[in-house]
Amino acid sequence: MDAKLKETILNPIFKGNPITVLVLGICSSLAVTVTLKGALVMALSVIVVTGVSSLILSLLRNTIPGRVRIIVQLVVVAMMVILVDQVLKSFEATYAIDKQLSVYIGLIITNCIVMGRIEAFALGNKPWPSFLDGVANGAGYGLILLIVAFFRELLGSGTLFGYDVLGWMGYVPNNLVILPPMALILLGCIVWVQRSIQKDLQEK
Amino acid sequence: MNTNSNLYTVIYTTLIVVVVAAVLAVVSQSLKGRQEANEKADTISQMMTAAGFGSKEEFGKIGNAAVLARYAEEIDRAFVVGPDGQKVADLPLEKVYSPSELKKQNYNIKGADTPELPVFIFKNGVTVVPVYGAGLWGPVWGYIAFEPGSNVIKGAYFDHESETAGLGAKIKDDPEFQHSFDGEMIDFAGVNPFDIVKGGAPKDEAGKSLVDNKIDAITGATMTSRGLENAIDVWMATYAKYFLAEVEDSSDDVNANDDVNGDDAKEVKED
Repeated sequence: MDAKLKETILNPIFKGNPITVLVLGICSSLAVTVTLKGALVMALSVIVVTGVSSLILSLLRNTIPGRVRIIVQLVVVAMMVILVDQVLKSFEATYAIDKQLSVYIGLIITNCIVMGRIEAFALGNKPWPSFLDGVANGAGYGLILLIVAFFRELLGSGTLFGYDVLGWMGYVPNNLVILPPMALILLGCIVWVQRSIQKDLQEK
Repeated sequence: MNTNSNLYTVIYTTLIVVVVAAVLAVVSQSLKGRQEANEKADTISQMMTAAGFGSKEEFGKIGNAAVLARYAEEIDRAFVVGPDGQKVADLPLEKVYSPSELKKQNYNIKGADTPELPVFIFKNGVTVVPVYGAGLWGPVWGYIAFEPGSNVIKGAYFDHESETAGLGAKIKDDPEFQHSFDGEMIDFAGVNPFDIVKGGAPKDEAGKSLVDNKIDAITGATMTSRGLENAIDVWMATYAKYFLAEVEDSSDDVNANDDVNGDDAKEVKED
């Protein structure tokens, strides 16, 4: 694998993470991080949506009329989001999670990461790198989601993936962690950690 | 080719929309069966939760097939009554009323057509009926279980489409709220069959909710509470004739029921 492709994959995971560096997709990361299960399903859904819509639009990139390109992007992304929602509803294991995530799966379409990456990358690059870029950005988003959800589920419910971790030793769940403001505080802590590691992100 | 000409743009957008619509239609049709099966199992587990056979989480863990098997084991009969309280038709035991069907009946209750009111009776005599109405952001619905032949609530389960998490969503997520229905009663003869009271339902000296047709509303979810109350009122008023006949029938053998009804009647007068 050549260096450029590697950079396409690795950059969104840490150095150019869509949530902590580009500050995209904050709203959904507050809403769906109460449980790890929900965050995992959301992360996978976003990976599929960003990856496949980037691929499709990259294949179409030379045929799309410039004036309606945002509309064409929207149609493709909307299709992917509905497909993901329909598939989640069809399986016994994911039906309950889909119900719990309810509108947030549908709202992936408004996640700035999806349209942002298509506009910035997929429309100007070949299909394979575009697909990888979409998947990697989805993964970067998912990684932060899982980190936040890990702390919120552990401290807010005393469980991880629904399994009792702290409850047996008499841990009293902290309800504050369940509320959205705590997700924002945790997110702030992650940004803090990242900026102290990666000095070039710090403003002078 | 000039990709910026008007003709090209119109043809291109038309084509892409048609293709996307076709893909979605095919997928939606091919997954419909599975989705309906999931919805049915979900509806059954909500009814069973209301009737006190277990909790929603337990039913979620044992899987669809086990939920259906348990239902087949416990259900005695199901039928549809009209607003006049008379039985219209028997329901096959595998038929349940999912939210989409309740929505249709809700329109009928509001006057579109004669409503079909499903009644599910389990082998232990518990009767389960659905309610459906508008919450703050979307529909709310649920299932109310009654003790055998009475207007006393055995249990209730509510669900919603898009109420605010942590506030209105408590009608589903807060077991305490759902359990506050237990032992209360529906006043089928009154103008307001049920009240969800903002600021607190009447309490006895120990701070326990009185056995009446009133419970506490959810703090911070006034609109959702009001919507749920309205859903219960409208549906219970439509079921009233059926239940009034039922309660009368069985009050001969259950004396306690007479007292309960007596108290209830008094309270309506005070109101």
